Amino acid sequence: MNRLLLIDDEPDILRVLSRSLCADGYEVLTAQNGKEGLAVFQKERPAIILTDIKMPGMDGIEVLKAIKKQDEDAEVIIITGHGDIDNAIEALKYGASDFINKPIRDEALSLALKRAEEKIRIRRQLKEYTVNLEKKVEEATRELRRKTNFMEKLIRSSNDGIVATDERFAVVIYNPGAQRIFGYRAEEVIQKMDAASIVPQELLASLRQEPDQGDRDAELPWQETTVPVRDGSRIPVRFAGTLLHEKKKVVGSVLFFQDMREIKRLEKELVHAERLAAVGQTVAGLAHGIKNILHGLKGGSYLVDIGIEKNKPDKLRTGWDMIQRNIGRTADLVMDLLSYAKEREPEYERCRPNEIAEDVGSLVAEEAEKNDISIQLDLDPAVDEAVMDPRTIHTVLLNLVSNAVDACIFDENTGKQWQVRIGTARAGDGLIRFSVSDTGSGMSEEVREKLFTSFFSTKGHRGTGLGLLVTRKLVEEHGGKIDVGSTPGKGTTFTVQLPERPAEDQSLKEDKPQHRGEEEKDEQKSSGSG
Amino acid sequence: MSKKVLVVDDDPDVRLFTVTVLEQHGYKPLEATNGEEGKQMIKEDRPDLVILDVLMPRESGVRLYRELKTDKKLKDLPVLILSGIAEKSFLRSQKALTEFGGDPIPEPEYYLEKPVEAEELARTIQKILG
Repeated sequence: MNRLLLIDDEPDILRVLSRSLCADGYEVLTAQNGKEGLAVFQKERPAIILTDIKMPGMDGIEVLKAIKKQDEDAEVIIITGHGDIDNAIEALKYGASDFINKPIRDEALSLALKRAEEKIRIRRQLKEYTVNLEKKVEEATRELRRKTNFMEKLIRSSNDGIVATDERFAVVIYNPGAQRIFGYRAEEVIQKMDAASIVPQELLASLRQEPDQGDRDAELPWQETTVPVRDGSRIPVRFAGTLLHEKKKVVGSVLFFQDMREIKRLEKELVHAERLAAVGQTVAGLAHGIKNILHGLKGGSYLVDIGIEKNKPDKLRTGWDMIQRNIGRTADLVMDLLSYAKEREPEYERCRPNEIAEDVGSLVAEEAEKNDISIQLDLDPAVDEAVMDPRTIHTVLLNLVSNAVDACIFDENTGKQWQVRIGTARAGDGLIRFSVSDTGSGMSEEVREKLFTSFFSTKGHRGTGLGLLVTRKLVEEHGGKIDVGSTPGKGTTFTVQLPERPAEDQSLKEDKPQHRGEEEKDEQKSSGSG
Repeated sequence: MSKKVLVVDDDPDVRLFTVTVLEQHGYKPLEATNGEEGKQMIKEDRPDLVILDVLMPRESGVRLYRELKTDKKLKDLPVLILSGIAEKSFLRSQKALTEFGGDPIPEPEYYLEKPVEAEELARTIQKILG
């Protein structure tokens, strides 16, 4: 950078100054007037220009203007006459970097040059720095864009539904997976819907209540639930959520949903297929039951024939009774078989489980009294009202209570106080527990293992072998479970736990075609035998 | 004196039917509701024929038949099996018991599958008792 241009119309000054500047290590270009100086500047582009102000033709101010016009960054130092402060100020106005007075003193000149060089250096550094910074920002931006694109693609292509919200739980990210589950389009949701309208309240509440872990994000583990979707129905999902923290403040949340419809459907299909297989495999067992019934019908008609031929009304009566009994057995078997083979969705409604238990108790009261069995009710007032399928409760309880009565009738230990107890209780978690216990014959391990297999009956001619299968099927369709405990000689207890459906899910019921309930009502009657 | 026939069946309808057939043809019917009771009555009442069901609570017909046929004093007592179980299934379960370590026993001479007509039942009984 040690190049400078010196313009002065006085050759002596030009000579003396250039010599002195050369001695200071500068490469000096010279010109004797403004025009020549400008030409040299255009050709050589020195960084520093020293120009006299008073020159014939083009003066120093004009040279300054012309140079500044071509190169904003050129450092032009004006040489003024002694006390010519007005011109000096004008020169500064037009962008001169400095001025020095004639006669030129070495210190003043070198100071001015040093300042100019410093300015050039700083400007160059600043430029380098700026260019560098821009480049770095550009690189970082590109990298960020790449990463963002990658993340976006990841979120978009995820099979899971992903929904992210800001700190006020307004939705900001909503991927196609979420759209497949909820049915809303992204533009209907983003910044327009609140997480509360797609996530069950209690889950969101439990996410908000996760213990404060400082800057660690609060996570809600995977769990199964149902979510309301656009068409008003609810669909089963697996759900997990994370509450995002930054500097101990909630900055947003991410919610993950896995669509369980297909899995639930397959599970259901599997259960159904297993059941049909059970029916098919045991056609032999079924045939045995049918043969016995046919035999009874033949026997009955034989007795009726004799009654007519020999005019014996008592034979006629017993024969006819026998026919009727076996018609009843046919009906029991067919009904059990139908309700076992057929799929049925529970129909939830507000009902009174305790009243159903009382009703079942009164249905078996006569048979129980005839056999010296006392029926006890142990009903929890907290179960007075619940949203469940009352027909399921009725059939299940009637089957179990009839079994319990039979277990007492079959008991050989006649010294016992036979008792059948029907109990209801709340079991927490929206579960209602029904229990049926008896002090009858009890069951051996072997019998207990066969309990829920098809066509197994300890009742000989009296059972269809399907009662408990039907019972278990109804319980499972209602989302519950059935357990049994038994001691031979002491008695048996069946426990059924059924979930209550939350009241807000009631809307579901209205979506169903109205005739369904009617059609299936008849098929839910069961013989009450196991 | 009329011959005694013991009917062993848990189903009261079956007993009533069989007993009526027996009475109509001049036999003296006896009734037992399960295998255990049947065994007792065979020993005490000495019937001339046993009509035996297969599937019963408390000692099945499979077991009782086996006990009768391995008992020196009782093995010649005629047995008519009357069951909803097919004869093949009955024989299979007897074979399984034999393989399990029992003595080989003769197949039942008389086997009727439910449902049976009154005439056929009567004819078979007459054939056995002469």
